[in-house]
Amino acid sequence: MMNPAGEGHGLWLADDGLLAERAADGDVAAFEVLATRHGPVMRAYARRLTGSTADADDVVQESLLHAWQQLDTLRDKGAVRAWLMRITGRRGIDCLRRRKHYPFSSAQMETYDPATGPEEAAVLNAGMSALSMALAILPEDQRKCWALKEIGGMSYEEIAYELGTTPTSVRGKLSRARATLLKTMRPWQ
Amino acid sequence: MIAPTDDPGCGRSLEELNGYLETGHSPDQPHISTCPECQAALAALTQLRRLTGELLEHDIRMATQPEEPWLREILTNLRLETRAGRAIPIAPEHPGDSLWETEGSVIALIRNIGDTIEGATIGKCRLHGDVTVPGTPVDLDIRVSAFYGYALHTMADTLRTELETALATHTELTIRTINITVSDLRMMPGRPERTGT
Repeated sequence: MMNPAGEGHGLWLADDGLLAERAADGDVAAFEVLATRHGPVMRAYARRLTGSTADADDVVQESLLHAWQQLDTLRDKGAVRAWLMRITGRRGIDCLRRRKHYPFSSAQMETYDPATGPEEAAVLNAGMSALSMALAILPEDQRKCWALKEIGGMSYEEIAYELGTTPTSVRGKLSRARATLLKTMRPWQ
Repeated sequence: MIAPTDDPGCGRSLEELNGYLETGHSPDQPHISTCPECQAALAALTQLRRLTGELLEHDIRMATQPEEPWLREILTNLRLETRAGRAIPIAPEHPGDSLWETEGSVIALIRNIGDTIEGATIGKCRLHGDVTVPGTPVDLDIRVSAFYGYALHTMADTLRTELETALATHTELTIRTINITVSDLRMMPGRPERTGT
């Protein structure tokens, strides 16, 4: 089922709209193709948003469950990727809120770890490593805004709405995040 | 350790320059295009954007590695359940028994049968009519995505015949019509054109 070449099954060749229609009708296989197609970008987003691989997997799992339950409410079935990213962003924010209440959870322990294992570091070039590290040490509220904007593609207004703050505050956090990232990365530029 | 901003030093803000980078417009364009500080800051911002893109691509690649079982684990944890839908009665063999099948299982049957027809992938399926009352006429609407190169009439005929047979075997629904809508035509990657069966 996870093999894109799978048995000549038309599902692997089907577009998102068709898969979303079928998944909304209760077709688990179609939903799994969607999850396989978009799961990796959802995970990448969640990882940079939460700063933790373990949390990212929880966020993706919750997001996919929510998507499965709510797919029939998605009107434009072709826009499933953007919709999944929006859900991931929201679930990521929820996860960070929860973590604030339980600051000593196991997830927190690895939060500020740059999370680059040896095999991963080997394929990251110096600039990417520097960015990865700079993001990991960015204050959480700045990193959150940065990920929602730069990976999630949200506007200032959307971020402000999701975080219960003002667009001005979001603008300020983003601008501090950008300045810090540039400063931290200067030696690699 | 962190300065609130890290502006280029010519009176313009990093924020303004980033806006210029994103939109390609700025009322201050004449200054920006000649100011060395602004140009240096723009180069740094461009580099940051490029690295952001590369890092994201890298993260996605890592998550797509076949040896990474994370997604399979997630999908296993989810235990997605098929929607049951309405209960469709089946006449019991012994009086007093009550038997039924779920609408979800009938829709799944329709999809499975439809997907075996060459060149067709089934989309949305709907059973219209009160399926919970035996004998009520039911209209089946299905959407089909077809591969380019298959004769649509032949495909639709085969699909209709196969579905009639399967529904008569596995359900006691009174199917009045089977409406097939070809919702799109797709190219099959790597396969030459062929005609329908």
